[in-house]
Amino acid sequence: MSSEKNKPTVQTTGHAWDGDLQEFNNPLPSWWLWTFYATVIFAIIYWVLYPAWPVGDSFTKGMMNDITYTTADGKTKTTHWNTRSLFLKEMQVAREDQAKYLKDINALTFEQIRSSEEKSAFANSMAKVLFADNCAACHQAGGNGVVGRYPNLLDDAWLWGGSFNKIQETITNGRTGSMPGFKASLSAKQISDVAEYVLSLSGNEANAAAVKNGKAVFSGQGGCAACHGADATGQDFMGSANLTDKVWTIADVAGADTAAAKKDAIMNVVKNGKTREMPAWKNRLSTTEIKILTYYVHELGGGK
Amino acid sequence: MVASSALGSTLGSTLGSTQVEQYNYDIVRKFTIMALVWGVLGMTAGVYIASELAWPFLNFDIAEITFGRLRPVHTTLVIFGFGGSALFATSYYVVQRTCQTRLFSDGMANFTFWGWNLSVGLAAISYMFGYTQAREYAEMVWPIDLLIAVTWVVYLVIYVMTLRKRSQPHIYVANWFFIAFILATALLHIFNNMAVPVHMFSLESYSLHAGVQDAMTQWWYGHNAVGFFLTAAFLGMMYYFIPKQVGRPVYSYRLSIIHFWALIFLYMWVGGHHLHWTALPDWTSTLAAGFSILLLMPSWGGMINGIMTLSGAWDKLRSDPIIRFMVVSLSFYGMSTFEGPLMSLKSVNALSHYTDWTVGHVHSGALGWVAMISFGSFYHLIPRLWGTKMYSEALIFAHFWLATIGIVLYITALWVAGIGQGLLLRAFDEYGNLAYTFIETVSFLHQPYVIRAFGGALFLTGTLLMGYNTVMTIRKAKKEQSEIDAKVAAKLANA
Repeated sequence: MSSEKNKPTVQTTGHAWDGDLQEFNNPLPSWWLWTFYATVIFAIIYWVLYPAWPVGDSFTKGMMNDITYTTADGKTKTTHWNTRSLFLKEMQVAREDQAKYLKDINALTFEQIRSSEEKSAFANSMAKVLFADNCAACHQAGGNGVVGRYPNLLDDAWLWGGSFNKIQETITNGRTGSMPGFKASLSAKQISDVAEYVLSLSGNEANAAAVKNGKAVFSGQGGCAACHGADATGQDFMGSANLTDKVWTIADVAGADTAAAKKDAIMNVVKNGKTREMPAWKNRLSTTEIKILTYYVHELGGGK
Repeated sequence: MVASSALGSTLGSTLGSTQVEQYNYDIVRKFTIMALVWGVLGMTAGVYIASELAWPFLNFDIAEITFGRLRPVHTTLVIFGFGGSALFATSYYVVQRTCQTRLFSDGMANFTFWGWNLSVGLAAISYMFGYTQAREYAEMVWPIDLLIAVTWVVYLVIYVMTLRKRSQPHIYVANWFFIAFILATALLHIFNNMAVPVHMFSLESYSLHAGVQDAMTQWWYGHNAVGFFLTAAFLGMMYYFIPKQVGRPVYSYRLSIIHFWALIFLYMWVGGHHLHWTALPDWTSTLAAGFSILLLMPSWGGMINGIMTLSGAWDKLRSDPIIRFMVVSLSFYGMSTFEGPLMSLKSVNALSHYTDWTVGHVHSGALGWVAMISFGSFYHLIPRLWGTKMYSEALIFAHFWLATIGIVLYITALWVAGIGQGLLLRAFDEYGNLAYTFIETVSFLHQPYVIRAFGGALFLTGTLLMGYNTVMTIRKAKKEQSEIDAKVAAKLANA
């Protein structure tokens, strides 16, 4: 830089403090001065382009920097530069990109969306973010749910039906699934027997005598068959679980290590019951968004 | 005159151990020790909350140590505990030595010591128990604000009265910066904290300002806390300790005048750039952005004056670790005062705001500039305060490297985190859909957060080494002193 100016030949100001503290009287470095002038020019241009200085009860509006955008209801507006309009303009661009696909999505059936590579790619791209921002908090980012709380959306088992229409209905209106607790109406032995019977339905080891008693309780006094069906395969109009497959959504039988723990998991549900609620989304998402989410959830793996 | 003041300083240091010192070093020693204590505590809190971000289980569901409670503990302890005590120590030292007079009042100086440290300690404890007025960098509840206000006014009185009774005709440049810092901080603290308590015995209060005006007041305070507390005051430190350590005159008196007044004038306007893309009217934040650009060269004026003072003594970089701290601090000062105006532009801010880039930027100033210049100044100061040499020069070198590598890791990790996060949050795909889910932008941060916590841990380790080195230096000084006393006593007994 200007090291030649830094030689001791430069005069100090002639003051000294604390013994040896002095100051050279070097001039301002010229590159420093010129860069400062450049920032002044930059700031002035910036202030001219954008709203910047208060004047009376208004402010300078900025020049050569107007924003023209179209609102969601189709009105075109031109204003001086401002944060809000810039946001609306960006939303307009995104909306226009989406619009050409959304029109088709609304008109097509689920099967037609599936058969078009472009349409299904759009639906998946939009649904991925919708799912993560709205559904993943319960059903998890991958849709695998949490046993005991939130159903797995990847497998073939559907409490409320796995067709496009059923899934759409579930998302739109929500569902409330409720199994009552039986600890008041059944004896401890009866609950134990029913649990043995339920274990046996999906091929787990169980005590033969208890299974026989349990089956009687299941279809008789216990009233289990009223909801789960005489063959225990569940009924999707009321969300009762199929007990004959190996999919467990409340009692974590698959995750229990020992036979006793498996049975405990079932007995716990029989005793205390379980109520779960999926909220309705019709007031938070548009019908198009719900349609796209339906398609996405159906295609996650288990759709019927 | 040069000769007489040199004599004065020699006398000062030889008399340092006797009962009546020429200067009040006792208050400087006390604040120096508290700066290190708060520094270690505050940086430990910082490393812990950085780790909580990387590994959230560390919150342990204990309310007192969750991120939200510990974050203001960290900022308060490092800015006001460490930084503030360092400024009290160095300003009291500098004003006495450059005015060649003792502090105006020892009793009042002691009052500032207790008032300040009590405020910092009470603030940290109250945050952990959830008492905060939720104003960033001014979270203290109103009774603590009052204590700070009183302490600060006493500080101002001591400083002004000491300057008035100086035995030097001119006021040295470092003192301009200190006095600007004290005046501006008083103004900022009082206006930002105007509030009405819910009732006499409640720690809660309502801010006197409302809505966006309240936000504007907070950032007028917040950015000037950066400008006057964390910049002007530390420039004062720089203007004394750098020329002293290298033994050369300050490069340019003219530059120091110009950049001082430019800095003082411009900083007051720029707070609004913290509120781009918010409810603050656009014109207000543009105005602030323009002044932020204008602030670039005045800031660099301080860096240039420091660097050019060091130039001509570059050979000392090899042997003097203190000068290394000083060079690195000025480099980070220059870097972060370039980055700041850049981030204040609307288009850059749209990307950087609400991301970790901001956090990285603050730390390149706070760790790189504020802490490094304080470390350098303390290593110059401590041996002079206790009348001995530092216990270990090797530990100073180790501290230098740990701190420097720690900062670089910290800042680069948060550049990646912040810029990456900003880009992910606003990426659209070809269909006009958001390209990333919110949770993807969060999980992306894990790796940079781990590196940042590691960088912070290195920096903290360096500070711990400094603490150890200082304790050992003080013990050494006491031992040396008792040996001298014993010799004197023996001689007196023989005589």
